[in-house]
Amino acid sequence: MIVRRHRSAALLAAVALTLTLSCKFEPFTPELHYSLNGPVVEKNPDLQGDPGAQAQLAGVLEMLVGTPKDPRFLALKDWDFDPNYWGEDLVKKDENALAALIASNRAAYREQIASIEAGDFENVFQPRFADDLWRWWLALKAEKAGDAAALKEEGVKLFSEYYPSLSNSAAFYRNQCFHCHGTEGGGNGSTSRFLNPRPRDYRPGKFKFTALKGKSRPRHEDVYRVLTEGVYTTAMPSFRRFTDAQLHGLVDYVRLLAIRGETEILLASFYTSDEGLSLESVQENYGDVVAKWRGASKQVIAAEDIPAVTPERLAHGRTLFMTPGEKGGANCVSCHGTSGRGDGASAFEVDPLTKETRRVKDEWGNEISVRDLTRGVFRFGRRPIDLYRRIYAGINGTPMPEHIGMTVTEDGKQHPMTESDIWDLAFFVRTLSVHEATVAAAPSHH
Amino acid sequence: MSSLKHFLLRAVITLLFLAVPILGVWTFVKAEEWGLWFPPTYSTYGPSIDFLFDVIMWMVAVTFVGTELLLVWFFFRYSKKDATRATYTHGNHTLEMVWTAIPALLLIFVAFSQMKAWSTVKINFPEDGPYTVAKPLMEIYASQFDWRVRYPDAQGNFEGADVIEVPYDITVPADTKVVLRLKSRDVLHSFFVPVFRLKQDAVPGMEIPVWFEATRPGDYDLICAELCGWGHYKMAGKIHVLPKDEFASWLAKQRENLYAKD
Repeated sequence: MIVRRHRSAALLAAVALTLTLSCKFEPFTPELHYSLNGPVVEKNPDLQGDPGAQAQLAGVLEMLVGTPKDPRFLALKDWDFDPNYWGEDLVKKDENALAALIASNRAAYREQIASIEAGDFENVFQPRFADDLWRWWLALKAEKAGDAAALKEEGVKLFSEYYPSLSNSAAFYRNQCFHCHGTEGGGNGSTSRFLNPRPRDYRPGKFKFTALKGKSRPRHEDVYRVLTEGVYTTAMPSFRRFTDAQLHGLVDYVRLLAIRGETEILLASFYTSDEGLSLESVQENYGDVVAKWRGASKQVIAAEDIPAVTPERLAHGRTLFMTPGEKGGANCVSCHGTSGRGDGASAFEVDPLTKETRRVKDEWGNEISVRDLTRGVFRFGRRPIDLYRRIYAGINGTPMPEHIGMTVTEDGKQHPMTESDIWDLAFFVRTLSVHEATVAAAPSHH
Repeated sequence: MSSLKHFLLRAVITLLFLAVPILGVWTFVKAEEWGLWFPPTYSTYGPSIDFLFDVIMWMVAVTFVGTELLLVWFFFRYSKKDATRATYTHGNHTLEMVWTAIPALLLIFVAFSQMKAWSTVKINFPEDGPYTVAKPLMEIYASQFDWRVRYPDAQGNFEGADVIEVPYDITVPADTKVVLRLKSRDVLHSFFVPVFRLKQDAVPGMEIPVWFEATRPGDYDLICAELCGWGHYKMAGKIHVLPKDEFASWLAKQRENLYAKD
């Protein structure tokens, strides 16, 4: 009846159905491989026009750190450590970190652990984001098939002391981080272009927020802290909703990406058509980059004592802040402005091409806003020690300089800035976000 | 088509229609078992919100079942082959009065019965407890895409050097009327704590007071309930409800940590 009346419509529907069914519905899976750093390759004419040379570079990097599916460090012969267990070794050596890791694993896998403790091994279900843990558990279950007591004991230990492998962390990175930070950690993921400030490019190995001096590579703790605290007022949120183990694993993978990226930059700049990449140069550069990361913990800015805030210290901090460089001060005023609002003259510059005034750029080439200190938003943290370290070491990759040892002139005498001077500055900066009381109470020399 | 065939067709289609109210009611009956129902409530005003929800749900349930049954019956009755033809009508005054008046009365009933709960949650903020609208326990900042809580310094100031700022983890005392000030740094967000039955939009430029009294220590989810951008799905937090004395020592510890050396 229906077919007779609407024969053509039925025919069309049949064709459409056939076409639809003949299509394959396969989800798009991006191919997993690390791409070379475009701008770096372009800088070297020997590398730029030579696909063979680029393939050699890519191959060398794959030999050193593996692929996104199977990332692993190549351990050099003279190393007395295995970089593949970098974070795990650190965490398992640190009593507090290990206790926190176990507590967090016990909370996250409480159902699995309860099933194991009850001897109900078949009811242990697969946890999310922990394929390696699941594989280890299945292997353990097969191995201890007849021995329930041993399986109980070792199973609980396995789940509560779980530390993810690099390949698992890489998969987790692709789940949580890669849409902003990109496959290679180049800060060029698909959502990155919507963000201001832009996501960090790990490849040069420069990290802004560390507790270290001398523009050092970050420690494990520094990257971990950024993951748990987030970077306030940017698109980098706090990732506290994941377990300690997952976050430690992410730090490990970020470190691998950064080491890969920096080695790539070095090798690409040294590459010549005549010599190619020699084994010695690869070993030397890779070894140097890894050594920089290994040495980071020697660079911590320690604070033996946090001095008491006194009106004299605040006044001294104010003087240092307000006095421009040419008059021998700490020159903060030139960028942060006389009211600390981030509107000083040096916060802006004239673009050489367009001749228009714009904000200053950082080393990644992005325009940046100088911090408005009156807002009370400090991206590295608002504790005195955080501000002290920030002023002490500056911010890596930005015009904010290292202040320790900077020459200042006071009472007609030149002297390098001391720790005490930096505390004064930090205390003064902390008062800028209090609108009346404290600033007014600080007497001024002027 | 034979009349038997026609009857069978009518019966099958009627049963299909009947499946809609049956499945609908079945889902509600089974919801708790399937884990689709509300989480338990751990705030003082939670039960009053649940009561209102139940009242409205039962009203809607009766209406839903009644109208569905009527619809199914009409479908079956008037799809007969020899059914009488439709006629034009100018309506039935009495019937229209009835089906206007009953819903109106129901709506008025709902409007009045919720007033007390609404004023408890959103209008009459606690004035007798340790925290008030003028002196809240904390400020909560929503921003794309995280929650941050700020506790005042020892003098009660929310600005300045010694405030405590924590992302994600919001710690509060149990059995205490907690008042907080809700702010947004960028766009609209919504502060939603399902176990407290509490939901409040955060509006940029406004300071909105919110209060609750948690009745049971534990860790509860906080989620953003207002689409706020591409990262909305991951804008989560945790409310840690601590026993009163533990909360006091926790806060003291945070003040100490502010001056930590690492």
